[in-house]
Amino acid sequence: MPVPENVEAAVRGMVDAAGLPVSEEEFDSFVAMYPTLREAADGLYIEDVRYEEPALIFTPVAPTPAAVKE
Amino acid sequence: MTLPDTIEAAATALRAGEVTSVELTEEALRKIEAMNDDVGAFIAVSERAMEQAARADAGLAAGVDRGPLQGIPFGLKDILATKDQPSTANSLVLDPAWGDGYDAVVSERVRAAGAVIMGKLVLSEFALGPPDEEKPFPIPRNPWALDRTPGGSSSGTGIAVSTGMVLGGLGTDTGGSVRFPAAYCGHTGLKVTYGRVPKWGCVPLGYSLDSIGPMARSAYDCAAILDVIAGPDARDVTASTAPGEDYLGGIDRSVEGLTIGVPRAYFFDHEQLDSEMQAATEAVIAALADLGARIVEIELPHSDLAKEANTLTMVSEAFAYHRTDMASERWTDYGAKTRMIIARGAFYSAADYVQAQRFRSWYAKAAASVMAEVDALITPTIIEPAALSAENDLAKRLTQPSYTGPFNLLGYPALALPSGFSSDLGLPLSAQIVGAPMSEALLLRIGHAYQQQTDWHLQYPTGVLEGSVA
Repeated sequence: MPVPENVEAAVRGMVDAAGLPVSEEEFDSFVAMYPTLREAADGLYIEDVRYEEPALIFTPVAPTPAAVKE
Repeated sequence: MTLPDTIEAAATALRAGEVTSVELTEEALRKIEAMNDDVGAFIAVSERAMEQAARADAGLAAGVDRGPLQGIPFGLKDILATKDQPSTANSLVLDPAWGDGYDAVVSERVRAAGAVIMGKLVLSEFALGPPDEEKPFPIPRNPWALDRTPGGSSSGTGIAVSTGMVLGGLGTDTGGSVRFPAAYCGHTGLKVTYGRVPKWGCVPLGYSLDSIGPMARSAYDCAAILDVIAGPDARDVTASTAPGEDYLGGIDRSVEGLTIGVPRAYFFDHEQLDSEMQAATEAVIAALADLGARIVEIELPHSDLAKEANTLTMVSEAFAYHRTDMASERWTDYGAKTRMIIARGAFYSAADYVQAQRFRSWYAKAAASVMAEVDALITPTIIEPAALSAENDLAKRLTQPSYTGPFNLLGYPALALPSGFSSDLGLPLSAQIVGAPMSEALLLRIGHAYQQQTDWHLQYPTGVLEGSVA
């Protein structure tokens, strides 16, 4: 997902979708920062990781109330 | 009378009848009174400190010995629930009902060990946001130079240990938050293995990264604290079921024959690494070699990306926790920089988060291969001594390397050790010893061996603050 040509529109869309009531100054800061964030995230899509499973943890056995000390 | 200023010395003196907990606590309160307005370590001081001290003394007099923390002035980061004091996470946003009337697992454990809980310590807002002068919380300042950062997020614990307001305390570490203040304030701090210490009763930052760890002058003192707080608790499903170890038991063992790996790429050759920080770390390596450790050069590939994966994971997990409050009129209740950092989570996709966890799997395998060949790694803890607080630039931080975050991503333990002082301003320098999961005892043993040869960790920021001398 390369940095979009219209960063301002992309950032506006994501800020609005998240419902963040940012000021104009804050919005401008996000616009300035976004390409760096995007490039950092895109940098993780490397060939070495192509067939890795994610390090996510889920257990179908939920903790029972008895296991939880109060 | 000069009072002992380490847990190790104070515990010995208490049992020899040379000092009482009441005297130690009075001295801690005197220092808080003298310095807290200048350095901003405490959010709230406990009104029950002297009562706890008297109880500790009475216990020792009656032959009830709960171990080395009994009667020791101790501090808790204000992100940990305490049944007798409110918790704020240094934020207007945290629900005042959170943590009301109960102890976090770690608070419960240090209390049961007889520590004198002096109060709740300042932190970066929600363990992430830099100080905000507009908010009603103390501004933490580095006791070695008041215009410089003490490091975060466990800034108050770092300052309080450095100045002797407490002899030990707890911080939390998601990307470096125990190790940064330990490094910037000139003492020792241990980021524990993920799951080694139960987190129940701690406000979360990054669920899959958070850890609670000891901060104190020495590796020995950190071991004494870890002895108390490590071990399973069913209330934290991420806590390891493995019992805690005897961290003090083998701390005097030699490091002779251990193999220490030095990851030169990224950790030693980065253009932003301060030359004195590098040289001080090289001196630690030389000292360990003199003690009989074998030094080998290793490679930990893609560590630059590990920093990015850790940041992405932390910010995404934090944003999930905070989004409801942020997307409301509470937006400006957050500190100006806090909200700008956490809201970055809105700019990553779900696929980005999963990709970061796929990278995490790959990096874990790469690190495990390295650790199969060595007993521990050594790196600088930070890239440079404490920067001016006024120069805290969020955009600049995005492009700086991190020598701590990669080990949060791995869940590995890491010990920050004082390694000297900068030649110009006399600011603390720090080196980091990293180990395989659950190798805290080994790291503390290496740190203790080094600290038997040096006294960097025993230095006080005298000359800056009146009243800081022990």
